[in-house]
Amino acid sequence: MKKITAIPALSMGLLMSLAASVAIPARAAPDRLTVVVTDEPKSLDPCDTDLSGNSRILHNNITEALVNLSPKDGSVVPSLATSWRQVDSLTWEFKLREGVTFHDGKAFDANAVIAALKRGQDPALACEVGLATLKGLKLNAEAVNPTTLLIKTDVVEPILPNKMSALDIGSPATPGDTKTRTPAGTGPYKLVAWTPGQSVGLVAYEGYWGDKPAIRNATIIWRAESAVRAAMVDTGEAQIAYEIAPQDGTTGQDHAFPNAETSLLRIDAQIAPLNDKRVREALNLAIDRDGLIGTIFHKDAQKAMQVVPPSVFGFNPDIPVWTYDPEKAKSLLASAKADGVPVGKEIVIYGRIGIYPNSSESLEAIQAMLADAGFNARLEMLETSPWLKRLLKPWSKDRQPSILQTQIDNAEGDAVFTLPNRFTTDGNQSTITDAGLDKLIADGSKATGDERKRLFQQAFKYIAVDTVNIAPLFHMVTIARVAKDVNYTPDVQAGNEIKLKSISYR
Amino acid sequence: MSFTYFLKRAAFAALALAALMTSAFFLVRLTGDPVNLYLPIDASDAARETMRLRLGLDRSLLAQFFDWAWDILSLDFGMSLWHNRPAMDVVLEALPNTLALGAIALALAFTAAIVMGSIAAVNAGGWIDRGVNVLSQAAASVPDFWLGLMGVLLFAVTFRILPTSGFGGPIYWVLPVACLFARPFGTLVQIVRGSMIEALNATFVRTARAKGARDGRVTFVHALRNALLPAVTVSGDLAAQFAGGGGVVEVVFGFPGIGKLLIDGILKRDFAIVQASIFAVAVVIFVINILVDMLYASIDPRVRVE
Repeated sequence: MKKITAIPALSMGLLMSLAASVAIPARAAPDRLTVVVTDEPKSLDPCDTDLSGNSRILHNNITEALVNLSPKDGSVVPSLATSWRQVDSLTWEFKLREGVTFHDGKAFDANAVIAALKRGQDPALACEVGLATLKGLKLNAEAVNPTTLLIKTDVVEPILPNKMSALDIGSPATPGDTKTRTPAGTGPYKLVAWTPGQSVGLVAYEGYWGDKPAIRNATIIWRAESAVRAAMVDTGEAQIAYEIAPQDGTTGQDHAFPNAETSLLRIDAQIAPLNDKRVREALNLAIDRDGLIGTIFHKDAQKAMQVVPPSVFGFNPDIPVWTYDPEKAKSLLASAKADGVPVGKEIVIYGRIGIYPNSSESLEAIQAMLADAGFNARLEMLETSPWLKRLLKPWSKDRQPSILQTQIDNAEGDAVFTLPNRFTTDGNQSTITDAGLDKLIADGSKATGDERKRLFQQAFKYIAVDTVNIAPLFHMVTIARVAKDVNYTPDVQAGNEIKLKSISYR
Repeated sequence: MSFTYFLKRAAFAALALAALMTSAFFLVRLTGDPVNLYLPIDASDAARETMRLRLGLDRSLLAQFFDWAWDILSLDFGMSLWHNRPAMDVVLEALPNTLALGAIALALAFTAAIVMGSIAAVNAGGWIDRGVNVLSQAAASVPDFWLGLMGVLLFAVTFRILPTSGFGGPIYWVLPVACLFARPFGTLVQIVRGSMIEALNATFVRTARAKGARDGRVTFVHALRNALLPAVTVSGDLAAQFAGGGGVVEVVFGFPGIGKLLIDGILKRDFAIVQASIFAVAVVIFVINILVDMLYASIDPRVRVE
């Protein structure tokens, strides 16, 4: 008997001696930080920061833009430009910061911005910034002197400074005909090495124009599994881990923060029975949003009434949140049926695997809620590629009635980054064809100030209340696990930016 | 093994490789167009069309195939869309890691299985045999994903003696190897045990005992050598599976191997990566098959590789 109990004791002894002999860092050095994210960046080219995985490493760490957006209210704040003004309706002037150098020693000036702009919009390079934020914009930049830049637009562009926050400026030595894997920017950190499949190493740039960061060496690594990312903070292998799944993020070190994403179901309102407004209203009334919060969705998620979070310019606070009323949903369906609407027709719910934590579970619950209200709904979970085929036009004319799980990100802070592509006739993801809404969005895009806000608010109300072609779900949150001795509170931009320079040890 | 035999095997392997690569070319393209995955959702139709033209996806599938086949003949596997580097360079960075991981796990599993399987067979029906049976059944059936996460929680988070994940010195290999070890160990123990029991009851073993050979010699020389053949056959299959990557284990531990590369390549419709990975893995499997044949011949003198 004694022999048998000796075996676990011996094993424990062996483990302890192994523990003593192996050096696993329990705590990082005070000037070193390791951050763990979900995926390896696709590109470290300064022109590809429109993709969040790239941006997290590059933006405001290695490379910087002319301006930043405030995480508090989305307002434009200085970065490499110290001030800006609209000279006339088609011209903006930017005054550039003096004494700034790139990591490769080249000086930052107006010509560097012009080169970055040209590169970002070069169709042959297919930069993310040119394909998304600066899409369709004809910009003609001109250096008045090294610290003054004029940018002319072909159409009125009232939020050009907001858009310039997406253009990270790389060194003029960045190759013009190909993407770079070794970016040189003006940011507080320069790239040490990108080891494919393993890590990206950064070191503080001594010649940085701003305050010197407390963290001198930063390493960004990636792990696909949420439990492993969370465990890495516990063991001291990493100090910050992003995108922790709700079931793993239950400790005091887990910080939930709004991530500028709004989850929703896009209703294909062109196909019967979903072309009947009563059916679309019934669909919204059948979803028990309160029941989903704190169970499948994080408890800090906010019920959404429109597709942008309150921090976005143009958000309409007066749109009512849908209540859960299955009885009313049933009566609306009955009334539609009485008028000959084929409410019994099968509706497909297209979901995307992993679009957010518990994405499949959320749709299984919603499918059951819809069935309770009398819908004939079938769930189809898709991986990204086939899901994109459902999201983006062109669609077959004889397609099945469907609702599509999606989420909309608006970290840029203005409604124009959300509305045109998703809700106008020409939008590549839009199921609406409505000349009135098209005009509203077009007018809003050109307007400024209160008029812009009013028009966008009207557009959001029209989409949510008048046409009802969406079932808004939640303004989402993401969980980050932060080591106890690290001073860092993730904000709404943390999905796109790590902000290493603001992080320190307690 | 004669040179002619090798040439013959190589010729058959080349034919099989050609058929495999052709299937891979068409199958991977059935999974969908990569353009939507690579461009931002807000990209214009014109930008999508430009990319399709740049990738040659506007041309007929047959025209694309002939171009691709010509490139493959000159061992040009094209550029990886996701990594923006030559696909074979990316594959050749990951493949040695996977091969080393698989080789270590399989060698350990094979050795441990021989020892445990033989001990169980010698004590067939006894409590040691029953214990080994339960252990090997559990090892063969435990999901490696679960095992990996439990390993992280126990050895990294609780005991703090191993890193959770990553790639580096020997210590980073312990958990991935342990996870990959379990299934082949369980399977091989069962096989070795079964074939050892059969061998221990065979007439040549009785003859050896009658000649006065010691127990250890009878078990590990006379019986084991004969009992090894099925284990070698199964190990060859397992080695071929491992050459394709540690799959889930690589994902859990962030181990930069070809399994994770291939999974990501498929999900991201990175055709060049998928094709280059399949090619590299197929060549490795061909080499493994040759090695297994040679091993067979060295274990069993009755086998002639020709």
